[in-house]
Amino acid sequence: MNKKIIIKTWSAAVLILFASCDKFLSVDPQEYLSDEATIVDEGSARSAVRGIYDELRSNNYYGQEFHWLSLLSADNTVYVGSQIVRQQLTNHTVRADFAGIESAWNAIYSTINRANNVIDKVPDLPITADFTQATKDGFIGEAYFVRALAYFDLARTWGGVQLVLEPTTSPNDLPNVERSTLQGTYAQVLEDLNNAEALLPETTNRIRATKKTVWALKARYHLYQKEWDEAIDYATRIIDDTDNYELVRPYSAFYAGNASGTKESVFELYYDINNTNNQRYQWQPSTRGGVAWIKPSNPVNNEPGNIVELLIDPNIGGDRSALVELQTINNAPNWFGLLYYRDNSTDPAFIIRTAELYLIRAEALAERDASGDKDASLADLNAVRARANVPLLGITDVATKTDLLLAIENENRVEFALENHRWYDLVRTGRAQSVLNIASTNRLLLPIPYSQIQVDPNLKQNPGLD
Amino acid sequence: MKYRRVFRYSLPIFLFLIFVPPAQSQETKPIINASLVGTVIDSVTREPIAGATVQLEAVTHSVKTDRNGNFSFITGQKLPFTVTVSYLGYENKKLVITTSPTVIALSPSEKELDEVVVVGYGTQRRQDLTGSIAKIDAAEVNKIPVASFDAQLQGKAPGVQVLTNSGVPGEAIFLRVRGTTSINSSSDPLYIVDGVFLNNTSLQNISLAGRVTSPLADINPGDIESIEVLKDAAATAIYGSRGANGVVIITTKQGNYGATTKIDLNVSNGWVQADKSLLPPLATGPEVAELANEWHINSGIDNGQTYDYAYARRPFRPVNEVINGVPGLGTPEETPTYDRLGLLLRKGYIQDYNLGISGGGQDSRYYLGAGYTGQQSYLKVLEFQRASLKFNFDQKLSEKVKIGLTNSFSRSYRNQARTGDGPQVQLYNSAIARAVYEPIFTDEGTASGADNTYTLINNYDINTVSLRYVGSAFVEADLAKGLKLRSSISLDYNQYDESQYWNTNTSIGSAQDGESTSGISRSGTWINEQTLTYQKKFDNHQITALVGNTLQSNTLQYNYAQGVGFANDNYKLISSASVRTASESWTQYTIASFFGRAGYNYADRYIVEATLRTDGSSKFLGNNRWGYFPAFSMGWRIVEEDFLKGASWVNDLKLRASWGITGNQAGIDNFASRGLWSGGAAYADILGTPRAGIAPYQLGNENLRWEETAQTNLGLDFATFNNRLSFTVDVYNKYTSGVLLEQPIPASSGFSSYWANIGEIRNRGYEVTVSSSNIRRKNFSWNTSLNISGNQNRIEKLPAQISFYSRDWVVAREGYSLNSFWLYEQLYVDPQTGDPVFDGQLPDGTLPIEARKIMGSAYPKFYGGLNNTFTFKQFDLSTDISFQYGNQSVNLYRYFRERNPTSGGIFENLLNRWQQPGDITDVPRLTSQGLNYTLDQNSRYLEDASFLKIRQVSFGYTLPTAILSRTGLSKARIYFVGANLFVWSQFTGDPESTVTSNPNAQGLGAFGTPPQPRSFQFGLNLTL
Repeated sequence: MNKKIIIKTWSAAVLILFASCDKFLSVDPQEYLSDEATIVDEGSARSAVRGIYDELRSNNYYGQEFHWLSLLSADNTVYVGSQIVRQQLTNHTVRADFAGIESAWNAIYSTINRANNVIDKVPDLPITADFTQATKDGFIGEAYFVRALAYFDLARTWGGVQLVLEPTTSPNDLPNVERSTLQGTYAQVLEDLNNAEALLPETTNRIRATKKTVWALKARYHLYQKEWDEAIDYATRIIDDTDNYELVRPYSAFYAGNASGTKESVFELYYDINNTNNQRYQWQPSTRGGVAWIKPSNPVNNEPGNIVELLIDPNIGGDRSALVELQTINNAPNWFGLLYYRDNSTDPAFIIRTAELYLIRAEALAERDASGDKDASLADLNAVRARANVPLLGITDVATKTDLLLAIENENRVEFALENHRWYDLVRTGRAQSVLNIASTNRLLLPIPYSQIQVDPNLKQNPGLD
Repeated sequence: MKYRRVFRYSLPIFLFLIFVPPAQSQETKPIINASLVGTVIDSVTREPIAGATVQLEAVTHSVKTDRNGNFSFITGQKLPFTVTVSYLGYENKKLVITTSPTVIALSPSEKELDEVVVVGYGTQRRQDLTGSIAKIDAAEVNKIPVASFDAQLQGKAPGVQVLTNSGVPGEAIFLRVRGTTSINSSSDPLYIVDGVFLNNTSLQNISLAGRVTSPLADINPGDIESIEVLKDAAATAIYGSRGANGVVIITTKQGNYGATTKIDLNVSNGWVQADKSLLPPLATGPEVAELANEWHINSGIDNGQTYDYAYARRPFRPVNEVINGVPGLGTPEETPTYDRLGLLLRKGYIQDYNLGISGGGQDSRYYLGAGYTGQQSYLKVLEFQRASLKFNFDQKLSEKVKIGLTNSFSRSYRNQARTGDGPQVQLYNSAIARAVYEPIFTDEGTASGADNTYTLINNYDINTVSLRYVGSAFVEADLAKGLKLRSSISLDYNQYDESQYWNTNTSIGSAQDGESTSGISRSGTWINEQTLTYQKKFDNHQITALVGNTLQSNTLQYNYAQGVGFANDNYKLISSASVRTASESWTQYTIASFFGRAGYNYADRYIVEATLRTDGSSKFLGNNRWGYFPAFSMGWRIVEEDFLKGASWVNDLKLRASWGITGNQAGIDNFASRGLWSGGAAYADILGTPRAGIAPYQLGNENLRWEETAQTNLGLDFATFNNRLSFTVDVYNKYTSGVLLEQPIPASSGFSSYWANIGEIRNRGYEVTVSSSNIRRKNFSWNTSLNISGNQNRIEKLPAQISFYSRDWVVAREGYSLNSFWLYEQLYVDPQTGDPVFDGQLPDGTLPIEARKIMGSAYPKFYGGLNNTFTFKQFDLSTDISFQYGNQSVNLYRYFRERNPTSGGIFENLLNRWQQPGDITDVPRLTSQGLNYTLDQNSRYLEDASFLKIRQVSFGYTLPTAILSRTGLSKARIYFVGANLFVWSQFTGDPESTVTSNPNAQGLGAFGTPPQPRSFQFGLNLTL
C-alpha cells in the first residue's frame, strides 16, 4: 500500500513540477531591463538623451580612440607605447585591420543609434503640464546635434558613409544601405544641424548642446565647406556673446587647476569619478600613475619640426608652453603632455573652444579676402596670439593671402597642440600631403575597418586602402 | 526573491521521502540468530586484505573487512552461509561457509573487467560499459603539487587535453575533453562532485591582468577517491544539456559499513623553483646599448638624416657629449646590467597535510577528512593556501531506507599579483620589460622608477578568500525488489572575498593617494534531484531502467566598493577614503530537466542502452526553452561468443558503438536572448552633477536556442596475454551545430553583435590506450601505460571571421581550426636591404591585407602520456611523461621584447638582426620605419610549441609488515616526488603558457606569464 502511495505521490509531484516549470524557468534580469518599453515619458526621454552623450564621451569616441586617430596622423604627437601598430597612423600606412579604426567606427555608430532612438521615439510622447513642448523639442534637438557631430566626424575621417537614420531594434531590421557620397553625408550633417538649431533653446550650457553649440559647429561645418560667409556669420554669433564666451587668461586657465566649463569652452564633455577619461593614464608618466605611451613630438627623439620646440618658443608658443613638461626619469629626459593630468581621471574632452571660432573667422575672412577682411582676419588671429602672450603680427608680417593663411595654420597648430585639429585642418586646406610628406591622396582618408567590410556587403573600401 | 526557487519547489518531496519510507520498512528488522567471523587474505602473499566486501547471499546485508582483513556478521540466518567476497583487483569469490571463524583467500585479478566505473546516476562494471569513460585513480595523480585536481590530469586520461597556462598556484587551467565544441559559450566539461554540479566559473573580478583563479582549487584533491571522465554521447547524454563538453565525475572518499576505524595521514613538504630554461633570455646592458645606437642611427637615416647627424645623436654616447641640453647615456661598454629577476625569484615552500578518518558501524559509515595545503610560488608575493574539512555520512534507517550527507567546506586564501597582459604593476613583467641598464636603486638606496620590481615585491597587496561549501543531503529507499528511489538536495555555495590596496609607492596608488578595492561575490547553486532506478535479472537477461528529474538554480551576486584618497599608507579600509564608489550586480538562471535511461544485457554478451533527457533553460524563451537529447549505444562482448570460448589468446574483446546528441548553454549570458537597455549610461545635465542615463545594451533574439552536439563513437577493448596487455581504442566524430555565438553584424546598426545560433564545428579524433604489465614477479613488477589522443577541430560553418584578443592574432574562420593564427608570413629578410619580405607583398613594398593568412593553430595534432611504475621489494618508482605535438604559439613575449631596444628589456634573439649586406637572418634591420618592426602580426613570432615533459617522478619506500606490526601501524610509506623536472620544446619559454584565461585566445605564449615551477617534495603516508 505504502509503496503505491509513494509512487503516486511522486508521479503527482513530477506532474506538478512539469506544470510549474514555465514559472520556474522565468527569470527576469535586474541589471538591464527589457527593451520593450524604453522611452515612455519625460523621465525616460531625459535619461535616454544623457545616454547619447555617454557614448559620445566613451573611450572609443571622444574619450580616446577617435581623438587619437587624427592626433597621431598629424605631427604634434608621437606614439611610443607597446601597441606599435599605432605608428601606422603617423607613418600614413594605416591598414584596414588596425583595431583602433574599428573601435572608433563602432562607437560613432553606436552614438548615432542612441540619437536615432530619441529622434524616433520622443516626438510621439504625449505632452503634459510638466512635459512641455519646449522640453520635448530640446531633447530631440540635442539628439539631432549629436547625430550631426557624429556624421561630421565620420565624413571628415572616412569620407561618405552609410546614413542610418532609424534606430535598430531587432536583428531583423539591420540597416541595409550603401555608402552615401561625401556631399550626401555632409548634407545630412547640415540637415541635422538645421533641425537642432530650430528645436534648441538659445541658452548657454558647455556640456550639452544648445542653439549656441549648434552655431559653433555650423561655423566649423561651413569652414570645411569653404562657405566663408556662413562660417563668419556663425563664428561671430559666439564671439560676440562676450557675456558667456571669451578667451580666458592665461592660456592654461581653461584646463589647468582642475578647471572645467570655463568661458573658453563652447562644448566639452564631462567626466566624473564613475565615468572616467582614460587619457590621463595614456599621457602621464609612471611616476604619476600613467604609462606615457603618447607624447608631444619633442627634441629628445630628434623629430624635426616637433611641437615641443614650437611650444616652448616664447615667440611662437608663449603661454602655451604650459601644455608640455620636461621630466628626467632614470637619468633620461622625457617630454610629457599636460592637457590630461587629473589624478581622478576626470579631464574633460574639449570639442569646441572659443579660440577655434576666432581662428575659423580669421581663416574665413582671409579666404574671402573682401575689403577689410584681411585686417579683420589679422585682428582675430592676434586675439588668439595676445591671449597666449606671443608678439602680435603686423600687417607686414603677413604680406600675402598665402602668408596670412599660413600664419593661421601655424597658429592652429600650437593653439590646439594636443587637441585633434591639425590633421583635419591640413586635409581640408589641401596641405596635408606636402606638410606631412604623404605620397598618395588616398591616404587622406582612413580605411573602412576590415571586419566591417567582412560583415556588411554594402560597405565598400575607400580606394587604394585595402 | 527567487533565490531559493529550487528549495521551495523541491522541499516537500524531499521531506516526504524521508518520513514515509521508514514507517513501512520496520517490519523487516533482522532477528539475531547467528554470527560469522573471518579473515580475508591475498592467496599469493597471504597478507590480509582490508576493505574487501563480504556479501551474504539472499540479503542485502554486506560488511567490509578491517585493516587486518577481519570481518564479522550478525545475522538472522543460520550456518551454512553462502557468501560472495569481492575486492577491487581480485577475482570475486563465491563460497559456502560452514564454520566460523573462517579464512577466505582471494586471488589477484589481472583483468579490470570487474572494476566498478561511475556513470551518470549510477555505477557499472567496466565490462558492461557501452560508452567511453576514462577512470583515473586519484591516488595516482594527486602527487603533483598543484592546487586543483584538474591540473593533475595532464597525460593521464585519453581524450583529455590539459594545459597549465601559468605557473601561479590556484589559477585556472585549460582543459578540453575531445576538443573545443563552442566559441562563445563554455567548452569546459561539467564537473560533478558526489552528485553536485560544481560551479567552474571564476568569481575573480579584481584584475589579475587577464587571468582568473580556478574555482576547482577549492576542492581538496586529498579527499578524492576517483575521477571519471565521461566522453561520448552514450556516457554524457544522461546529463543532456550539460554533457556536450564531457563530464568529469569526482567521487570522494567514504567509509565502509562494518569496518573498523582507519586513519590515514599524509604529510609532504618541499619546495618549488623556477625552471631557468623557461625564463626569458635577456640581453645584457652593453648588448642593448649597442642595439639601441644602431636602431637610432638607422631610423635617423631612414627619416632623411645624414649618418653623421644621426650618429652624433645616438643615445649611448659619452656622457659629456651634450646635445640640445641632453647628455649622453654613456658608451655601450660603460653600460651596466641589473638583474631584476634575481630579486623576484625565491625557493617557494610547499606543504600539504591530509588526515582521513573512515569507518562505519552496521548501519552507518563515514569519512572525515581534514586537509591543509600551502603553496608558495617561486615568485615572491604569490601564494595559495587551502584549509578544508570533509564529512561524508550515511545512515541506514532500515534495511530499505538510507539517508546521507556529503559535505565539504574549504577556505582558500590567495596572495595575488598581476601576471599577464597589460603595462601597469605587472609583477613578473616588471623584472623583464624594464631595460636592464636602468638601475634598480638610486644612489640613495631607494627603489628607482615607478613599479620597480623591488617596490612591487614590497607593496603588492591583493588577496582573496574563497569560502566554499559543497554538499548534499539524500534519501534512498528500496520501494520493491530492484526498485530504488533516491532524492537529494544539493548546494554549491561560494563566497569570494577580494581586496586590493595600492599604496602610494605603486603607480596606481601614487596618483590618487592610495586606492582600495573590496569585492564580494556570492554564487549559490541549488539542485534538487529525484531518480528512480529499476534492476531485474532473469536467466540471461538483465534489465536496468532509470527515470529522474532535476531542478537547478544558480544565482550570482556581486558587490563592489572602491575608495581613493587616503591620509597615509597605513589607512587601508575604504571607510578612510576621501572618495568612495560602489557597484552591484545580480544574475540568475534556472534549469529544469527530466531524464530516463533503459538498458538491456543478454548473457554479458549483447548490451544495449538508450537515454533521453529534456532540459528547459531560463536563458531561452518560449518554444526554444526546451531541448531534447537522446542517445543510443550498444556493446558486443565478442569474447563471450562460442567461437572464442576457450581461446587462450584473447581475454577480452568488446566492440562498442554509440550515437547521441548533447546540449550546451553554459557560459552564455543568462539573459542573452533578450533585448536589453542599460541603466548605467549616466551623464550630467549641468556641470558637476552626473545623473542617470539609459541606452540600448543588446539586441534580443527570441530564436536563441540550445547548441547541440551530435557525437558518434566506436570503441574496441582488447586484452591478451592473460590480461597482461590490454588495448582500448576509440574513434569519434562530434558535430556541433547551432553554435552559440556573438554574431558580428554591421556596426552601422549601433551594435557590433548579437547572440545567435550560427556556425558549425566538427571535432573528430581517436584515443588509444595501451596498458601492459611487463614484468610481474613476487619482488619486482613493471607496468607501463601509454595513451595517445588526436583531435582535429574544424569550423565547418561561420558566416564571418571572428577575431579574439587584442591585435586579432587569433581568429575563428570557416574551414580552419578554432584558435588559428592570422598572420603576415615573413618569408625571409632580404640579405641586401635587411628588410623583411612577406608573402603577398606587392612590388612597391606595400602589404595588402589579402596577404594575411591563417598559419597554424594552438591545438595539437596529438597529445598524451606515458606512465611507468616499478616496484622492487619495498621500493616503488613511478614516472609520468606528458607530451603534445603539432601546436603553434605566437610568442608574445618575443613580440614585445624584440623591438625598439630603447623600449625596455630586450631578448637576446635581437642580437641576430641583419647588420650588413649578405647577412642571412630572420631578424630584420633595426629601424622604426617601414614594416620591419611595426607589423604586429608578423609570423616571425610564431613558434612550434610542441613539448614533451617529465611531468613527475616519484620514488617511495614502504616499511615491511614485520617492522610495522610492532608499531600498530598498518602501513607506512616514505616518498619523494619531483614534478615538471624537464621540458623539451623549441618554444622560447613555457610552451603551455598563454597570456590570458580567455579560452579563445590560447597559444599567445609567454608574455608576462610565469612558467610552471619545478617542484620537489618529501612525504610520509601513515595508515593506522
